[in-house]
Amino acid sequence: MLSSIFSTLFSMKFLITIVRLATPIVFAAIGTFIAAQSGIGNIAIESIMTFAALAGVLGSYLSGSPWIGVLTGMAIGVVTVMLIAFFSMKLGANAFLIMIALNTFADSVAIFVMFLMTGEKGTTASLTTPILGSWDIPIIKDIPFIGEVFSGQLTLTYICWLIVILLFIFIYKTPTGMRLRACGLNPDAARTAGINVERLQVLSLVLSGIFAALGGVYLSLNYLKIYSRGMVSGQGWMGVSANGIAAGNYWILILSAIIFAVFRAVSIIFSSNSALPTDLVNAIPYIAVFVILTAVSIINYYRVKRGKVEEQ
Amino acid sequence: MTENRSSKYSKRYKLSISNPKLFDAIKMIIAILIALAITFVILCLISKDPVNALKTILIGPLTKRRYIGAVIESFISFAFAGLAAGVLFKAGGFNMGAEGIYIITGALVAYIASSPFTTSPILHPILCYIGAMILGGLLMIIPSFLKAKFGTNEMVVSLMSNSIYAAVTAYIVRTYIATQQRGGVSSKDYLPTARIGYLYEPLRISACFILLMVVMVILYLVMNKTKLGYQMRLAGTNPKFAEYSGVSAFKLSITTAIIAGVLCGMGSTTQLLTQTSYYTPAQSLVGIGFSGMLLSMLGKNNPIGIVIAAFLIKYLEQGAAVLYFVDGAVPSEIVSIVEGIVIMLISSQYFLRRLRERQLLKEGLEEHAE
Amino acid sequence: MSETILKLDNVTKVYPNGTVANRDINMEFEKGEIHSIVGENGAGKSTLMKVIFGIERPSSGTVTYKGKETNFSSSMDAIKAGIGMVHQHFMLIPSFSVVDNIILGDEPKNGIFIDKKEAARRCQELSDKYDFELDVNAKVSTLSVAKRQKVEILKTLYRNAELIILDEPTSVLTPQETDKLFDQLRFFKEQGHTILFISHKLEEVKKISDKISVIRNGVSKGTYLNEELTMQQLTNLIIGRDLDSDMDAYKTHEDFNNEKALEVRDLYMERNGKPVLDHMSFAVKKGEILGVAGVEGNGQQELVKCITGLEETAYTGDIIIEGSRVNDLKIKGRRNLGMAYIPEDRMGDGIAGELPISDNLISTYYDRDDINGKVFMNNKAIRDTAENLVKTFAVKTKTIDASVNSLSGGNIQKVVVAREYNTNSGFMIAEQPTHGIDIGSEEFVHHKLIEMRNAGAGILLVSANLTEVMALSDRIIVMFDGQIAGYFRDAKSVNESELGMYMLGAKHQTPEEIGGALND
Repeated sequence: MLSSIFSTLFSMKFLITIVRLATPIVFAAIGTFIAAQSGIGNIAIESIMTFAALAGVLGSYLSGSPWIGVLTGMAIGVVTVMLIAFFSMKLGANAFLIMIALNTFADSVAIFVMFLMTGEKGTTASLTTPILGSWDIPIIKDIPFIGEVFSGQLTLTYICWLIVILLFIFIYKTPTGMRLRACGLNPDAARTAGINVERLQVLSLVLSGIFAALGGVYLSLNYLKIYSRGMVSGQGWMGVSANGIAAGNYWILILSAIIFAVFRAVSIIFSSNSALPTDLVNAIPYIAVFVILTAVSIINYYRVKRGKVEEQ
Repeated sequence: MTENRSSKYSKRYKLSISNPKLFDAIKMIIAILIALAITFVILCLISKDPVNALKTILIGPLTKRRYIGAVIESFISFAFAGLAAGVLFKAGGFNMGAEGIYIITGALVAYIASSPFTTSPILHPILCYIGAMILGGLLMIIPSFLKAKFGTNEMVVSLMSNSIYAAVTAYIVRTYIATQQRGGVSSKDYLPTARIGYLYEPLRISACFILLMVVMVILYLVMNKTKLGYQMRLAGTNPKFAEYSGVSAFKLSITTAIIAGVLCGMGSTTQLLTQTSYYTPAQSLVGIGFSGMLLSMLGKNNPIGIVIAAFLIKYLEQGAAVLYFVDGAVPSEIVSIVEGIVIMLISSQYFLRRLRERQLLKEGLEEHAE
Repeated sequence: MSETILKLDNVTKVYPNGTVANRDINMEFEKGEIHSIVGENGAGKSTLMKVIFGIERPSSGTVTYKGKETNFSSSMDAIKAGIGMVHQHFMLIPSFSVVDNIILGDEPKNGIFIDKKEAARRCQELSDKYDFELDVNAKVSTLSVAKRQKVEILKTLYRNAELIILDEPTSVLTPQETDKLFDQLRFFKEQGHTILFISHKLEEVKKISDKISVIRNGVSKGTYLNEELTMQQLTNLIIGRDLDSDMDAYKTHEDFNNEKALEVRDLYMERNGKPVLDHMSFAVKKGEILGVAGVEGNGQQELVKCITGLEETAYTGDIIIEGSRVNDLKIKGRRNLGMAYIPEDRMGDGIAGELPISDNLISTYYDRDDINGKVFMNNKAIRDTAENLVKTFAVKTKTIDASVNSLSGGNIQKVVVAREYNTNSGFMIAEQPTHGIDIGSEEFVHHKLIEMRNAGAGILLVSANLTEVMALSDRIIVMFDGQIAGYFRDAKSVNESELGMYMLGAKHQTPEEIGGALND
């Protein structure tokens, strides 16, 4: 039993699973991060992923092209964040409450739309949806081991990692990135430097919406080929948690997202092992987030207490 | 100290739109009208007879006594979830653990209700309530404790614990109290002694309804007239000021968490013992805890407002259910859209602000003239 | 021949909530002059500056800059036109370097990237030209307050500002630093810059200005040449009556008893491996005001947090309030021993803005027996208390049910002081008690502090305003770098520039001399 667990953990299949599972969480994490950089806590990531996952399937089904599906998902992501921006910036609503409401409604709204399109409330399986495939990278695919992990992954996974690198450059090396960070660190200072804070915050929200949406369409158009009720199942929140742990450090953000993916992989691989209680194995990733987040906050608490860092 | 009450500082707001409470009420009514208008537009798109569809949603529940009875019976559990969220939000907490606590306390209720602890039809439900209330109170503490003590993000922690509790509940029910009679995971049937009967059957009014009313009044008094309520107001509007004033954020968040958890326990027990005869973890209580947060926003954290909101939402859902029965093209989730629009509009400070500002400006200038 | 650079014609600003901040203001500013604008806080100075700097639009009237009517929609437009502003609260990003702070909003580019080298070169050049002695690559968080102010000024120069608005620039400086700033301002004037200097410190205004404009109650009271006005006339213009500035008249009794309201022994705390409070010992006796002078950021905030029980970081040493060691008590326990506290950040810590005035007036003693019944709070008692306090402290409001947010800054501070005054405490911490409030309210707060002292309370007065510390205190300690650098048994025996030397760390007393802070 133990040996079978170990052999699973060190298998190629496990590594590949991690890469596949990391994609939506990384998308969610960078989506939260970019919004946080401009001073906005975007906790609507989970709902944006849900909307985009469904919109992606519908767009792909209606147009016959999975890429149109991806664009549809992204568009819905942008619409959702614009809704948040409109209510919080133009109408003075508490953005937190709006986002909590969105998260709470996401499933019902998705079911409502799904029912109108398919007459069903569970999945979109009845629609024949063209989906995205995977990419084989020439040369690399023939290298043993590395080829297996780095080649043949799903298309959006490559796009995800490309965005991770581009986003880093954008935030830390370009004028717009610097202004955006300034908005988050001291909006008054940014404003008096002549920066249009609201516009940059909207920009960062839009990027946030696009990234979260990509995470959503990855699930429904790339990882699986349907939208099914509740499929996002906390992956958006894992991104939000990763951002909380990172405390503004980009690479810790990515690392946290990957760690969460590892626990999801563990859970998925072990849930097929009938010797273990499936119900509890399913909870592993959530327990991991709970424990890691709590541990990080306890460590921070004692660091402040010992005068290592100033409280935030 | 015993100055005359007619002193110039005790002048109250006059009855005009500049009065914040009246303004809120007007805002609420207009928000509802806008939401209904948008709903009508959606109905025009998906229903062949939109006028009738809207009419059915609005007055459908009144057409049969059992419809309105169903509303009265089912809104109670939702109202408890709303009150729980209201208590937490009012004190500035973002603990979202109600969903998971509904589900996991459901397992305990199912266990007690299906076991022959007592033969008394009064004592048995009470045992269920007590068990669920204690468990709910204890579990709700966890995220609030971590937040108050270590600054852990309570929102994420409570959401994760929701998933964990759901998994644990499924495991417990499957392993310890499952039955083979039905497909899927569900508990054994409750014993007849545990079920709660009606006090007035035609409208399905049970003791739970009275319990809700009592709890509502108590909470209203606690939140508006007591020290605890004052502390909640301070912490909810400016936590730093509350700390500075000597309100222990720690004690307050633990206290409110316990109250909220106990309310969740009441809600889950009510739902199971009045609406079901056995417990299905994936179904019986799912979504109620989350709806509570929406109700709390609709009711502006005011216990009476929350209970009214719960009733209205359940009423609309019943209307939508009737409509679905008549016209299968409109799914009952349409109520969520109404709910969403109303929530977003009433939480918008600037919505209708111009109207109020014009009045304030007028009053301000009048005063200047004096 | 002088030319007009900025002209205000009938500028009126009415805020949406009905407040008339400026009414029919007419002013003219000439190129190359140092022109002060004085007035009580709440008189409308800040609003007027916001209008000039494009943050607010005037409700009516026109602003003409360099002969053209302006129509700024944001400060960006003002900056482009050549107006720069140094805000009272610095608009800097502590975690950014000096260069990044200066170039923010107008970055030199190399393709799509920021040209960091060019940026650093330009900033260094500017710093050298104006003799600012800044390390442009340092993080702003490591700089002293005076240096941060220089960064702010550099920001405006980097954007080629011709008209520079300085909002209360000296409120955070020592006398020596103020002199240096004035030298620099005169240098700017020689270079052709126009300086708009806003202050409530009248001596300084008299010292630096060519012209002085007075605003009272939102209305302009005229522009005068500096030499036309005496101090007394200026004061009369500002508040419309004579100020009774001599606090000594209120200090009725001189004999300190030796009972101690507060004792701090060997207080030590570090952060990031560096001591922020370095073995401090002092006492506040009953019936005295102990003033704590010092440049901001030398440990005053941490000291106050340790004494009030709000500090999160662990510290060593003893804090004794009214005879009880309170290290293990939270703020509530300390308040129960008779501590009252006027916090520096009144909007953040001192009030809940959305709640009514009455709720705010009882927050620190809401659990007292006279406010509570057996189960419910005593609404009548709360209203009576609140109405009384509003009356005695002359808080300008229509009703105690109005939210605190609807009050002006000075009136909000009165609410805070009224509440702390009403706790009947034997020990009060007053942290920047008059920062940014109008002269009338300031005078009022000062009188109340003296009144408490005369009634036998011990008061710890922490203030960056030297004039205030010297006018109110019986004894004074000066903090520098987490230590007590100087102790003065008699506040009358020391002058501002002497205190300034200790504040800058140029002078430091011996441990024996400093020991008096605890043992006298």
